[in-house]
Amino acid sequence: MPQRARAGLVFALALVAAGCADSGGQDRSGSNGAVTVASCGRDLSFDRAPERAVALDQGATEMLLELGLEDRMVGTAHLVTDIAPRYREAYEQVPVLSPDILTGEQLREATPDVTVASFAALYSRDRAGTREELAELGLPSYVSAVDCPEDNEAGLTPFDRLFVDYENLGRIFGVEDRAAELIAEQRQVVEEAEETRETVTDPPTVVWLYSVFNGLPYVAGNGGIPSDISQRLGVVNAFDDVDEQWPEVTWEEIAERDPDLLVIGDLSERGAPGDSAEEKLTMLRDHPVVSRLDAVRETRIIEVPGIEMDPSVRSVNTLRLVAEGLRDLGYAG
Amino acid sequence: MPVSRAPAGSGRDLLGVLHPSARALPGPQPVTPPPVATGGRLSRTALGLLGTAALLLSVAASVRIGSADVGYGELGRALGGRLGLAVEPLPPLLDSLIWDLRLPRVLLAALVGAALAVCGAVLQAVTRNALAEPYLLGVSSGASTGAVVVVVLGIGAGSLGVTGGAFTGALLSFGLLLILLRRGGLDSLRIVLTGVIVGEFFAAVTALILMASGDADTTRAITHWLLGSMASARWDVVVIGAVTTVVGLAVTWACAGALDGFAFGADTAASLGVGVRATRATLLVVTALMTSVAVASVGAIGFVGLIVPHGVRFLVGPTHRVLLPFTALAGAVFLVWADALARIAFTPREVPVGVFTALLGVPLFLLILRKRGEL
Repeated sequence: MPQRARAGLVFALALVAAGCADSGGQDRSGSNGAVTVASCGRDLSFDRAPERAVALDQGATEMLLELGLEDRMVGTAHLVTDIAPRYREAYEQVPVLSPDILTGEQLREATPDVTVASFAALYSRDRAGTREELAELGLPSYVSAVDCPEDNEAGLTPFDRLFVDYENLGRIFGVEDRAAELIAEQRQVVEEAEETRETVTDPPTVVWLYSVFNGLPYVAGNGGIPSDISQRLGVVNAFDDVDEQWPEVTWEEIAERDPDLLVIGDLSERGAPGDSAEEKLTMLRDHPVVSRLDAVRETRIIEVPGIEMDPSVRSVNTLRLVAEGLRDLGYAG
Repeated sequence: MPVSRAPAGSGRDLLGVLHPSARALPGPQPVTPPPVATGGRLSRTALGLLGTAALLLSVAASVRIGSADVGYGELGRALGGRLGLAVEPLPPLLDSLIWDLRLPRVLLAALVGAALAVCGAVLQAVTRNALAEPYLLGVSSGASTGAVVVVVLGIGAGSLGVTGGAFTGALLSFGLLLILLRRGGLDSLRIVLTGVIVGEFFAAVTALILMASGDADTTRAITHWLLGSMASARWDVVVIGAVTTVVGLAVTWACAGALDGFAFGADTAASLGVGVRATRATLLVVTALMTSVAVASVGAIGFVGLIVPHGVRFLVGPTHRVLLPFTALAGAVFLVWADALARIAFTPREVPVGVFTALLGVPLFLLILRKRGEL
């Protein structure tokens, strides 16, 4: 079968690429602790481990906290939802520079020695400043590998690229052991979840409903964490043909694709109308067409924290939840 | 709708009555551009000095204001270091905060404020409409569409740049406006309504582009910018803004006599020996250029062009040779303070300055109407 052959080729290439990953652009130059790390198109050099990190968004904040770096952070910003309970205590120690997207002035005022962000878009003139500007000031700007597939080895999925982040940050901050531990932990969750795939006999189709904005549903398209999770669990993301992470679609389109089950994101802490899972459920049940779908009538619906649908250190939790959900609903053994 | 109106007739409705050419108003201004009296010249000189001093003081004071409080000592060290004085240099990030972000931002606010205010004064005279300004006539919307086409779709990103895209959009919207107004003369109400239609059309095109191709994050960033934000001010933008504002001011000031003529109608202008078509075209292109540079650098900031010329006209009278420089000064002071407010009013959040110009502008506008006995 040509399709299977192509998948096999991609897999083989990914293996080759992964084999080279350790050497690509990441040289430890000497024994004095100086480190160079490639991050989304820029080489970041560190003479010594940073002491004054600023995280530009929630994903970056939680990643640094997971690595136990709260003592070396001088600021966070742009919190979308509540910080995960297990980081709350550490989070209290870090100054919140802005609840919103950080401005260039706020960033400079904090006098950081490194910035960490999940999205390259946070580095622009009207936000924190471009990465070029910061580099001229001697301030390295890290961007999550998840945000730049083109700068990473081909074939790496979002989860693989999260692991690249852990490794990179471990090296930058000199906490390689903790990073290796984290990678091992999360790899195990991924592998356990993948065992579920073996038991999925008739692959169900899934619509991942992230949020409802102005009455229009945002669902998961191709290339994001939900698409990655779907593949790992052997289910079919109903909107995988849309080459965009969060396309805005219509309820009619969802009805037409008639998914076997729905995954809905709970963003109740964000607090906008339609953000909580409950409100989304009500919307599904009240919609004249969607309410007649089998998945809705028989409540074949899995709830997950919406923030975990975006790539972050918390995303494995959603992988676990969906795997459990599949078992509960009888799609997997 | 009447096809055309006599200049005298249009002075009777609300819009016309606001107009500088409205003669029967109990306003402080004489009816025709008068030979400037000696006393008037003196007080204008004083007012000019006062205005310049106000601008310099506003710039100096507002440079300190922002999320980070900047002292004059730090300011002196940042400036002194660049002038080659022997001062203790600031830490690089703090130096960058002052020199790379704060200073260009305040200067850009002054330049954009001056440009938009002058555009408003010129458009009000050329279209003989008291409510004319780049924002209301849809020119800002056209410029935004052009900028979004370049930023989001990447069309012309290499050849045109954002400013070029905004300029093309501004000219297109102006062209569309003039084509729609081709028949039937320049009736006040017609101009405003047509301008609103043109603006809505371009706003819809912008929305369509954002919907079709932008992801949620791009949309959010662009929306913030469309509301008008000075956060992206840098020295390169300041240089472009300075050149356009100075050239624009010079050209419009050179046309001051013609503008006085236009304010009394194209016929009057023609009878005064003004080449109506060529002068009007020049003035419209210059305003389009100034507007598009402003929109490309800081987004669409409304109401500056509406409020400032009216306020200044109230103070110095309708003669454009005097009105234009004062309008530029007042516009600069206005936007410098509006942006300072935008920086600190809701710290740590920053509000788009366009929101503040509207919030400050609308009541100020009503006040002017009331002072002139129209409300």
